[in-house]
Amino acid sequence: MTSENRRIILVLSAFCILFVGLVGYLSYFQVFKAEAVKNNSYNKRLWINEENVLRGSIMDRNGNVLAYSEKDGETNKRYYKYGNLYSHIIGYSYREYGKAGLELEYNNVLLDISESAALNELKNLVLPSSVGNNLKLTIDHSTQEKARSLLNGRKGSIVLMNPKTGEIYAMVSLPDFNVANLNENWKEITENPDSPLLNRATQGLYTPGSIFKMVTTLGVLESFSLDLEYNCVGSTVIDGYKLTDYNERAHGKLNLHDAFVKSCNPYFAEKAVVMGKDKFGEVAERFMINKKIHFDLPVKTSQFPYKGNVEETEIAASGIGQGRVVVTPLNMAMMASAIANEGEMVKPILVKEIIDKDGRILKVMDTEVISTVTGPSVANTIKDMMVDTVKAGTGTNARIRNVTVAGKTGTAENPSGKSHSWFVGFAPAEAPRLAIAVVLEEAGVTGGQGAAPIARDLFIHGLNNIDFEEEY
Amino acid sequence: MLDTNIRPSTPRRLLFLYEILALILLFIYQKDNLDQYIIGIGIGLILLVHISNYLLLKISKGDNYIFLIATMLMSIGLIMIYRIDSQAGVRQLMWLALGIFFFYISYFLVRYLKGLNRLIYIYIGLAYFLFILTFLLGKRTYGAINWIRVFGVSFQPAEITKLILIFILASFYYQYENFKEMKYSSYILMAIAYSFIGLLFLQRDLGMAVIFYAIFLAIQFIYEEDRKLILLNIGLAVLGAIIAYQAFSHVRIRVATWIDPWQYIDDKGYQITQSLFAIAEGGFFGKGLGLGHPHFIPLAYNDFIFSAICEELGVFTGMGIIMLFLLLVYRGFKIALGQSNLFYRILALGISTLFGVQSFIILGGVLKVIPLTGITLPFVAYGGTSILSSFIALGILQAASEDFEWRMSDD
Amino acid sequence: MFNILSLLFKYIFIIIIYMFIFSIIRLIYLDIKGMNNTALGGAYLKLVNRKDSIPFKINEYYSIGEGLTLGRRGDNDIVIKDPYVSKDHFQIVKDEDEYFLEDLNSANGTYLNGERIQDVVPLKDGDRIRVGNIDFLFVNKGM
Repeated sequence: MTSENRRIILVLSAFCILFVGLVGYLSYFQVFKAEAVKNNSYNKRLWINEENVLRGSIMDRNGNVLAYSEKDGETNKRYYKYGNLYSHIIGYSYREYGKAGLELEYNNVLLDISESAALNELKNLVLPSSVGNNLKLTIDHSTQEKARSLLNGRKGSIVLMNPKTGEIYAMVSLPDFNVANLNENWKEITENPDSPLLNRATQGLYTPGSIFKMVTTLGVLESFSLDLEYNCVGSTVIDGYKLTDYNERAHGKLNLHDAFVKSCNPYFAEKAVVMGKDKFGEVAERFMINKKIHFDLPVKTSQFPYKGNVEETEIAASGIGQGRVVVTPLNMAMMASAIANEGEMVKPILVKEIIDKDGRILKVMDTEVISTVTGPSVANTIKDMMVDTVKAGTGTNARIRNVTVAGKTGTAENPSGKSHSWFVGFAPAEAPRLAIAVVLEEAGVTGGQGAAPIARDLFIHGLNNIDFEEEY
Repeated sequence: MLDTNIRPSTPRRLLFLYEILALILLFIYQKDNLDQYIIGIGIGLILLVHISNYLLLKISKGDNYIFLIATMLMSIGLIMIYRIDSQAGVRQLMWLALGIFFFYISYFLVRYLKGLNRLIYIYIGLAYFLFILTFLLGKRTYGAINWIRVFGVSFQPAEITKLILIFILASFYYQYENFKEMKYSSYILMAIAYSFIGLLFLQRDLGMAVIFYAIFLAIQFIYEEDRKLILLNIGLAVLGAIIAYQAFSHVRIRVATWIDPWQYIDDKGYQITQSLFAIAEGGFFGKGLGLGHPHFIPLAYNDFIFSAICEELGVFTGMGIIMLFLLLVYRGFKIALGQSNLFYRILALGISTLFGVQSFIILGGVLKVIPLTGITLPFVAYGGTSILSSFIALGILQAASEDFEWRMSDD
Repeated sequence: MFNILSLLFKYIFIIIIYMFIFSIIRLIYLDIKGMNNTALGGAYLKLVNRKDSIPFKINEYYSIGEGLTLGRRGDNDIVIKDPYVSKDHFQIVKDEDEYFLEDLNSANGTYLNGERIQDVVPLKDGDRIRVGNIDFLFVNKGM
């Protein structure tokens, strides 16, 4: 073949590659990207489809309607009964601002759009206008209201759930916003430096502080060779860095139980280093740290970077929940649940049932164990420590008469501001029905002072008001 | 399977069937407010396509396929344009008729005019003349000065200049042996090509600049004996792209909206995101003709006709269009390989490259594979000069598919 | 009504487009295949007319080998069902590496480069042979 012909064929081959590439990309786009692109709120076609369908209602576990749609002349109008209360759970569905929360995640259910496009087309032909499906949530409306009022306007988040079933009874994130009149305050919401749009319960990544000692404790318990005794002098030096206790108080000679109850920092820092980063990391991952949590709302993944070249001081800091460890409140509520549920972590659920317009239940969400953190005996050992923490340790503010509360406080030093105040726990300790995580962002007070009383009040309200269905 | 008997007339019949079905559908679509054009459009399209195909069969002894492919593309395009805007559809039909007329004219001119290969200086002069004309009479639309109005008709001179470039290149390498005696002749050719590209850049016609560059690079790559010039050419293009990115904000905007259009969805990224919505919404089989919302796409029958087609006729039709262009390019190269006359061989190569690059740039653009530049999809998109230019180019290719050596000995 | 029709038609449209593409690919494939079979070596006849302008079955290339005959009757090497073509129209014979064309007393005659042949004539590369409305190009690169 002449060099001319060879070059001609080379150029032709280049064109073939380009065009076949285009066909390939088009298929890739259609298979993997199209769904996400289509659901972008700027896609005007979405709204045309919606004009024909009356969006389904959303109600709490007792059937109280929280959001519903009504025909308003030609168009369908969406009503949100409780402006701020469900801004991060239900979210909103606005032509101008798009969708968020369950309105986004369950859009196809609420509009009764099936997965198959061909089926939809046929359905639209037969029934040009229809009514979507309703959602029944696991939320208890009165508890949700109580939780929001307990935060009392402070920045932070509360997640209250059933440790056995995974049902979320309340989930609050402050600051929030009024979804009923987004048109009037959208600009203000988006420009607010405290980002009200952020759902702190699932998307907020906080330094956990001492509540992370629950993870360290499990690691210590599993490392049989570890010496559980330790003499605390109020501070310890690891690799040239000094780690101190709160107020540099020396706890003296103590074992794991006492170290946990008194939240002794040098103890857990030292033990984390001796345990080793790989063991520590492996235990943390059983608590779904570094793991994707599948939930009805998008969840940020909690992080504990331990792989690769991590210094000892970093591991020591992680041992007391400082350093580069960051977690979501939802994940921490799940952590408390796992201990409450004899070591089994269940998938959190927010949507209990999908019900069609005629009241038929289309789908019931089942409880699902997503991680076995530990066995019942080790879980009970940790539970006992948590009970003593509330009885006589840092968490006494969470004490309730006649009910045994188990808990762990945390005061997380925050490099960018005042410390976060944490409490995680569950009640009643003997037969747990409620598990909680409370975080007050940049509260500047200890977990025992700030978060523990909130947990106590919400436990009292919840135990008295929630209809738990299953008998204990 | 490829061996089974097939009649040469099968594709023409399929094309006929396609047109008839589409027109029936459009007829029903508009039956409530029927305009007087639909019958005209229907008869016009079918007559135009089939008479011109039949005529070509009788006249040309060259390639059987390229014109057929082009008429398939133009049928899909016209049906879509008419569905979006019936007025535009009628105008498009007229442009197509004129385009096919020009196809025959260019076919006959290239086939029977002798000495086309000796007019290099005239070509160069003509190209510069057209550029000067653009700058003198240019109108600015969508940020580009590339239109002029002559006798009330909008006209984009670069659409003609790109064909002249192909003639310049063909004449040069046809007489390469003579030119080689002239010192630095290849460098002068490159300087001329780059001056065209630079001028297009000044007119902010980025898509056209890329087309010019690609044609020049392809022909140079095949025929230039001084191989380091090709490296120089590629190097200069990379350098030029970097400088352009640094110096011109409109280039930076193109790149930014290509990388993440969602961030600029309200203004600069609006067009491309609307295009992606349409393609995503269509799915593999489309919404069905008349059942989508192509009027949400800006410039739905010009630059974004492909997105509109994908929405209503499906991504499979879109892939079909891509394959038709690939077949067209393949036939063009095949014609070049079979052409023994060097001048006509280079013409065939240049025009195939033109079709290939132009369709790739706009298809890749609306799909967000490459930055979007406003050029038209040959034969499919609405647009006067672009349709004429594409058909003229096709006429040249048709002529170049014939055997010139023994025509000359015949006369 | 329109919706149902449009939903149905969109599948038909796609099927037609792909049949169109497929039929073109198949025709191109047949062309190339025909070319390869004959272009392997030796002399051959190439059809000059566009194949689809001829209303009866004909190939684009015919290998000559040691010679061939053309006519309307079925036992010829090239059979052409054209009324202009006689039952036995012409033949090409090879003799000492040279090819000769001979008209077999056909009714309408055989034309070589526009002239009707009377006797046996030698063929050279690039000659055009016409029978009725059909033009062949004689190609013999091996000479």
